Amino acid sequence: MSTDDLTEDLTRRTENAPQELLTRSFFFLCAVLSIVTTISIIVLLTTEAAKFFSATAPLMGVEGPTASAVDFFTGTEWIINNEQFGVLPLVSATLAITVGSAVVALPLGVATAIYLSEYASPRAQSVLKPALEVLAGVPTVVYGFFAVVYITPALRTLIPGLGTFNMLSASIVVGIMIIPMVASISEDAMSAVPDSLRQAGYGMGATKFDVSVGIVVPAALSGIFSSFILALSRAIGETMAVTVAAGSQANLINPLNPVDYLEGALPMTAAMVNLLTGDVTGGGVAYRSLFAIGLTLFFITLVMNIISDLVAQRYREES
Amino acid sequence: MATESREREGFGHVSRTVGVVFRYLLLAATLFGIVALTVLLIYVANDAIQPLTADPGWHLTFFVTLVVPTVAVGGYLLRTDPASFKFGGGVVGALAVSTMFAGGAAMIFVDIVQPVTWFGYVLALAVALAGVVAMERFDRQLPFLVRSVVAGAVAVLSLWLVPGLVRSLPVYPTDGLLLTASLGTPVALLVGRYAAAAAGKRGTALAVLGGVALVGVGSYAGPLIGVDPVPATVLLSVAVLPTGGYAVGTVRRHTERRPGLAFAGVILGGAVVGAVAVDALGFTGPQSWVDWGFLTSAHSGTAADAGLYPAIGGSILLMVTVAALSFPLGVGAAVYLEEYAPDNRFTRFIGINISNLAGVPSVVYGLLGLGVFVTYLGQPTGTVLIGGATLALLILPIVIISAREALRSVPDEMRQASYGIGATRWQTIKNVVLPRAFPGILTGTILALGRAIGETAPLIMIGAPNVLFSLPTEFSSKVSAMPLQVYAWASLFASDPFYRAAVPAGVVVLLVVLLSMNSIAIVLRNKYQNDQ
Repeated sequence: MSTDDLTEDLTRRTENAPQELLTRSFFFLCAVLSIVTTISIIVLLTTEAAKFFSATAPLMGVEGPTASAVDFFTGTEWIINNEQFGVLPLVSATLAITVGSAVVALPLGVATAIYLSEYASPRAQSVLKPALEVLAGVPTVVYGFFAVVYITPALRTLIPGLGTFNMLSASIVVGIMIIPMVASISEDAMSAVPDSLRQAGYGMGATKFDVSVGIVVPAALSGIFSSFILALSRAIGETMAVTVAAGSQANLINPLNPVDYLEGALPMTAAMVNLLTGDVTGGGVAYRSLFAIGLTLFFITLVMNIISDLVAQRYREES
Repeated sequence: MATESREREGFGHVSRTVGVVFRYLLLAATLFGIVALTVLLIYVANDAIQPLTADPGWHLTFFVTLVVPTVAVGGYLLRTDPASFKFGGGVVGALAVSTMFAGGAAMIFVDIVQPVTWFGYVLALAVALAGVVAMERFDRQLPFLVRSVVAGAVAVLSLWLVPGLVRSLPVYPTDGLLLTASLGTPVALLVGRYAAAAAGKRGTALAVLGGVALVGVGSYAGPLIGVDPVPATVLLSVAVLPTGGYAVGTVRRHTERRPGLAFAGVILGGAVVGAVAVDALGFTGPQSWVDWGFLTSAHSGTAADAGLYPAIGGSILLMVTVAALSFPLGVGAAVYLEEYAPDNRFTRFIGINISNLAGVPSVVYGLLGLGVFVTYLGQPTGTVLIGGATLALLILPIVIISAREALRSVPDEMRQASYGIGATRWQTIKNVVLPRAFPGILTGTILALGRAIGETAPLIMIGAPNVLFSLPTEFSSKVSAMPLQVYAWASLFASDPFYRAAVPAGVVVLLVVLLSMNSIAIVLRNKYQNDQ
C-alpha cells in the first residue's frame, strides 16, 4: 500500500459513505414517522368531523344526513337511533369521571409522593415503587370488571340506592389507576428540590413535617400541578374501565352534585366504543359522529398535555 | 441538666404528635391503592380458582410435601446463603415463565405454522447466513454496496426457493424431528455456549449436541407419556433446555451457589410428589375455572364451557406483529434523536410531539386505525395486521422515550473512544452504543408490549370481532385478544354465571401473562443496573 493510499484512507470523509447515508436516512424516517402519525390523526379527525357537521359537509362534498354544530355542542340528548347528537351529556359524564377520580387520586398521589421522597427509606422505596407501577400496569378493562363485580356491591352495603352501573365506582377505579402517575411525576419534582433548602429549614429548627409541608411541597408546586393535569388528561381519555362500569345510558348529570354519581352515565370514550359495538356501518352519520367526539377528546387532551409541559418546564428552569 | 431545661423553655415546645400522625397518614395514603388492588386480586383469584372447593386432604398433602420443605430449606438458605437462595428461586421462576411461553409457542406450531413450513424458513435463513459468512471469508475488502447487494440477493433467493423446495420433498421426517432440527438446534446452540462456560470447544460442542439429543429423544418419548410430539419438542426446547442451561452454566461459574439447585429441587420435587400423592390418595383438587378446558376451548354461550383459546392465540400473534413493527421503528427514531439529530428547533419539535403522542387516548389511536387502514386503505376490519399496526403506533412513543433514556445512559467517553480509533458514526452506534444500551431498550420494549397486550379499545375501534371461534391463522384473518374477550364476557354476556366463572378466569390468565412479562423486564433491569 503506497503512502498516498494511506493518506487518502485516513482523511477520507465517511460522513456520506453509502453505508452511513443509508442508516442515517432510515433513522431519520423513523423519527419523522411520529410527525406523520400526528398529522394523520389531525387530518383524519378534522376531515371526518367536517363531514359530520351540516355547516361544513357541503365543503367536503358529502351528501346525506348531517348534524348541526350548534345542536352537537348544546344538545342535551344523545340518542343515536333518533339521530339526536347532543354531546353535552357525554361531556358531563366525562367531567364527572374526571372530578371523581381527581378527588381520589390527587390527595393520595401527592401524599404518596411526599412519603416516597421525604420519608421512605431506600429499601421501602425499592418495594413501593414497583408495586405502584403494577397499579398502572393492570389492563383498564380489568379495572372496569372490578368496579362492577366487587366495588359496586361493596359500596351498596353503605349506599343502598346505588345502581348496578354507576359513576361512583367507575370514578374510584379510574382514580386508583392514575395514582401512580400523580405520585411518580410529583415525586420527581420533590426530589429535584435542592437539599440546601431542606437543610436551611432544619437549621431554623423546623421539624420534618414543617420542612415537607412548608418547604418541599411549595418548591415543587409547579411539578405537582403538571402531574395533576397529566393525570386528569389520562382520566379523560380512559376508555375501557368506564365503558364496562359506567353503563350505557346517556344522562346529563352535574359533575359537582354527589347524588348524580349514584346513577350510570355515558362518558365520551364509552360512547365511542358503544357506537362501534352496535354495528356502525362505514360512512353513515353515526360513524362520522365518532370522529366528531374523537376530535373533541383529542383536542382536550392535547391542550392539557401542552399546558402540563409548559408548567413542568417552569419547574425545571427554577431548579 | 438545669441549663438544658431552660434552653428548651426558651425554644418553646415542639410536639412530636403532629409529625408522627402526618407520617402515618402519608404511609396509609401510599398503601391505599396497593392494598385496594391486592384485595381485588385476591377476590378475583378466589373466584377463578376457588381453592376452598378442594378436599382438606388435598391442601394438607401439598402443605406437607411442598410448603413445609420449601419454607424450611428456603428459610435456612435465606439466612445462611442468600445468593444460592436467589439462584434456586430464579431457576424455578425461569422454569415457570418459560413453560408458559412454551405453551404459547406450542399453540403456534400446532395450529398456525406447520413444522415443515417453519423448518423451511429456518433452513433458508441458515443458508443465507452461511452465504454471507462465506463471502466475508472470501474477501474482507469488498465495498459496502457490493456486499449489501450480494447479501440481500442471497437472503431473498434462499427465502424464496428453500421453503418451497422443502415443502415439495416427497417424504419428510416426522414433525418432532423437524422441530428438533429447526427449533431445538438454534436454542441448543445459544444455551450450550452458556452452559459449557469455559469448557473449551469440545465441551461446548458436547453441550450443544447433548441439548439437541435431549429434544430429539423427547419428541419420541413424549407420546409414551401422553404428550404429542410437537408440544413435547417445543416444551423441551423452549422451557426445559434454557432453564437447564441456565442452571448448569451458573453452577459451573459460581460453584458456591450449588445449594440453590437443591432448593429448586425441593420445590419441584415437592410439587411432583404432592401431585402423585393426591392422585394416589384420591383427594380432589379445587374446582378451578382456569383449567385445561378453559385454556384450550373457544367461546361458548354457557359460562362453564367458555374458553380463551382463540383469544390467547390472537394475543400472541398481535404481540409478534407489534414487536416486529414497533421495535425497529422505535429504536430507529430514538437513535436518530440521540445520536444524529442536531440540537435545533425541528429536533425539539419532534421530541415534544412524541411526548404529546404518548398522552393521546388509546381510542383516538383506534380511530386512526379505523380511518386510515380500514376506510382509506380499504383493508378488511379487525385483522391481525391492522390490529398489530394500530397497537404498534400506540406504543411507539413509549418505546422511543424509554429507548432514548437507555441511549442517553451510555457514557460519552465510549463514543469518543470509538471515534478516536477511526470508527464512523454508524460503526460506533452498531458496535458500541447499541450493545451497551440494549438491555435498557429491551426492558422498555417489554413494558410497552405489556401495555399493548392489555389494550382493548383500539381493537374494538378497528372492528375486531367480540366472539371468535377459531385461531387466526394468518396476518389477514380476524383476530380476538384476551382483554377483548374479557370485555365481551363482562359487557355483552353480562350475567351472573359469566361474572362468577368466565370473566375471573380470563382476568387471572391475562394478569398472569402481564405480570410475568413485567417481572422479566424488572429482572432484566436489575441485572443491567448491577452490571454497570
